[in-house]
Amino acid sequence: MKEELLFSAKNIKKSFHSTQALKGVDFEINKGEVVGLIGENGAGKSTLLKVIIGTEAPSAGEMFIKGEKFAPKTPMDANQHGIGMVFQEQSLITNLSVGQNIFFGYEKDFRKLIYVNWNKMYEESQKALDNVGATGISPRKKVLDYNFATRQLIEIAKVVNVSLRSGSDNCLILLDEPTSLLNENEVAALFKEIKKLTALGHSVIFVSHRLDEVLDITDRIYVYKDGMGVGVVDTKDADERKLYEMMVGRSTTTEYYKIDQQIEPDEEVVLECKDLGLSGIFKHVSFELHKGEVLGIAGVVGSGKEDICSVLCGDDIATSGEYYLKGEKVSFKSPNRALKSNVLMVPKERLVEGVVTTLSVAENVAMSQLKKPSVGPFISKRKIMKQANSWIEKLHIKTKNNKELVLQLSGGNQQKVVFARALASESDILILNHPTRGVDVGAKEDLYTLVRKMVKEGKSVILLGDTLDECIGLSNRVLVMKDGLITGELDSPSTNKLKQIDVVTLMM
Amino acid sequence: MKEKLIKAEKKGKGSQEFVKYFSFSAIIILVLVFWMIDPGFLNRANLSNLLSDTAPLMIMACGATFVLILGSVDLSVGAVCSVVNVLAVFFLTMFFAQNGNVLGSALMGYGLALLFGGVAGLLLGLAHVFLKLPSFIASLGFMSVWKSVALLVSNSPVSIPKLLRPAVDWAKISFGVIGLPLVLALIIVITFYIIQTKTNFGKALYAIGGNERAARIAGVNINKTKIVAFVLAGLCAALGSIFLVAKLKSSTPTVGDSFTLLVIASVALGGTALSGGKGSVLGTVLGVFIVSIIRNGMIFAGVDVFWQDIVFGIVVIAAVAVSVDRSIKNLIVK
Repeated sequence: MKEELLFSAKNIKKSFHSTQALKGVDFEINKGEVVGLIGENGAGKSTLLKVIIGTEAPSAGEMFIKGEKFAPKTPMDANQHGIGMVFQEQSLITNLSVGQNIFFGYEKDFRKLIYVNWNKMYEESQKALDNVGATGISPRKKVLDYNFATRQLIEIAKVVNVSLRSGSDNCLILLDEPTSLLNENEVAALFKEIKKLTALGHSVIFVSHRLDEVLDITDRIYVYKDGMGVGVVDTKDADERKLYEMMVGRSTTTEYYKIDQQIEPDEEVVLECKDLGLSGIFKHVSFELHKGEVLGIAGVVGSGKEDICSVLCGDDIATSGEYYLKGEKVSFKSPNRALKSNVLMVPKERLVEGVVTTLSVAENVAMSQLKKPSVGPFISKRKIMKQANSWIEKLHIKTKNNKELVLQLSGGNQQKVVFARALASESDILILNHPTRGVDVGAKEDLYTLVRKMVKEGKSVILLGDTLDECIGLSNRVLVMKDGLITGELDSPSTNKLKQIDVVTLMM
Repeated sequence: MKEKLIKAEKKGKGSQEFVKYFSFSAIIILVLVFWMIDPGFLNRANLSNLLSDTAPLMIMACGATFVLILGSVDLSVGAVCSVVNVLAVFFLTMFFAQNGNVLGSALMGYGLALLFGGVAGLLLGLAHVFLKLPSFIASLGFMSVWKSVALLVSNSPVSIPKLLRPAVDWAKISFGVIGLPLVLALIIVITFYIIQTKTNFGKALYAIGGNERAARIAGVNINKTKIVAFVLAGLCAALGSIFLVAKLKSSTPTVGDSFTLLVIASVALGGTALSGGKGSVLGTVLGVFIVSIIRNGMIFAGVDVFWQDIVFGIVVIAAVAVSVDRSIKNLIVK
């Protein structure tokens, strides 16, 4: 491949109030290259992308595209230079159609006086979707009719299309954790399209916490730590261990999923479902959860695994079957009732259902406590702060102090706050719905250690892993679901871990 | 979500500070302006009049603050105030006619009137929570209902008979320019401030206002919190109305009409985000003073009665426009 520089950033700095998110980083990408950008939560990856796309102005530093100086003020500016970005949190407008979203801001291209040629827009949208290999999506349907994984593909189609429309022969596409919502097949499809794009001379910056994916798709990898570049390596010279060491600054001494710490659960059954069903979504779901057990539920998106969580945590009410806690029949009208029976969920969509961004870290951590730390009849602010400090320390949450608004935290650190809240609630049964989504490797290890510690203390966990690997690695047992039915129940003891393929065959 | 983050970060420290000190500076500027128009604005008689005027509004605005922190709105507070106004006098005279005991009649009459306020809040809360009606539309409906009820109870102003005057004379007690009603109102503000900062209920208000879905998943009792907030707003509207009875020594079936706007303007000017999640009853106190100074000042400056509402409306829109927190691009009223 010809080594021709497409884009470079020199000594970029960016501060938010008193926090310095970027302390002078450099970045270069050649035409037709896929460059990975990795680092722990808060290392400044997302910030750099935002600077490149023009939603944040750098405090210092310069950027060049094709040798010309480049200083975008808005994403539209960047788009015109052939730069497009897929944001970590989705930016589609869900009550508009797929086509309207793809051409959002470009409607005038289809307009004659006041008449918009929708048919033409939808045809073009179909082409844009085909371009990135997104099949089975109708441009005329509303975005909210599609699940999150599909929306991610729509978003990618939109961004690639917008960048290509600039007429540039060498576009630069920024992908901020594009795969965190996709399953393995979808990831493979996406990678195929990335390779197609680069073959045409376009370039891609790929940000992900999944090191295996980064190693799979990229040509070179930049590693950031605490707002500074700590190195750049050719992918062919790198492996997970090396990247991990660079990111975290220490080598991984223990095994990833702490399988050696996996314990045998008690005989005691703490939660039992008998023939549970939610009309139209899942049915005949029966299983037991033992004290000290991690029970994984595997299945593709739409298999009903998410909905089981909703029922167990009181967000939905089962339409058939029975649900027992410690032998007592229950039916929760709301998550509040479930919490009173010591059942709590760590939800999947962090910003939508996880954190209250207008409140401080300390207040978020204390949110799930029915009996908050108090003095007499009144809540004690001091005790809440003290408790928050101990969790900030235990989970290595990167925050200025416990009073900082959760809004100011990076995505992974927000997830740690949600986790801290669940642990602070002292619930016996935790439902972890994608607990490590968007969390970096070092933090994942912290969370895995925590899960192991929790079950040792006699808690029980129902786990929907962020990856199948995680689901198998952490669980004592794995339930496999397909189309709303349980298709298998497999043991995954520490001595003889399940093979992915055994689970996948039951999922498909 | 992304936009929200970016907007909030872009919003400099300066403008945040501005919102914080807006209420204080507005009060000082307003006082100076009216004082320059007529130095008599700051004389003892007017000052005492102005301060005693603030008490009913302050109490009503306290309850409404909680509802606005939730991200909801209660447009029926004015109409509830009207009903309570006529009911209080109706019960007072009725019980007095039966037993001739002033204290007993006062306790019974005020008690029942307060109870009505609580029930009105409860009904609105239940309609909002269980019928899932937006509070905006539910309270608009109740506003219409209560307005009619007030007129049905008594379609014209009723004065409190001479013999019953001891039941309202407490409002005349004063310490210098500060009257007993204002002292009581401030005690209620302090109580609400403690509820807001030191109780589970208070914490839940902010969580729900900030992100209702997240609060629900985290196990916060959404329904209970919302209903209690509406009941408190109803009780406050009723208590404010009883203060009005005591001050005016009579009931008027339309007395609350103007209060809906005054209450919401006070809360908004006090820095409570109309989108929910942010605010404080302490800010509301400042908002109440701004509103009262504008109203009192207009009378003092000799603004024509028919023009007063036009001027007031425009001033409120302008004031909220400069003080409102634009960092959250969301629905203004849920």
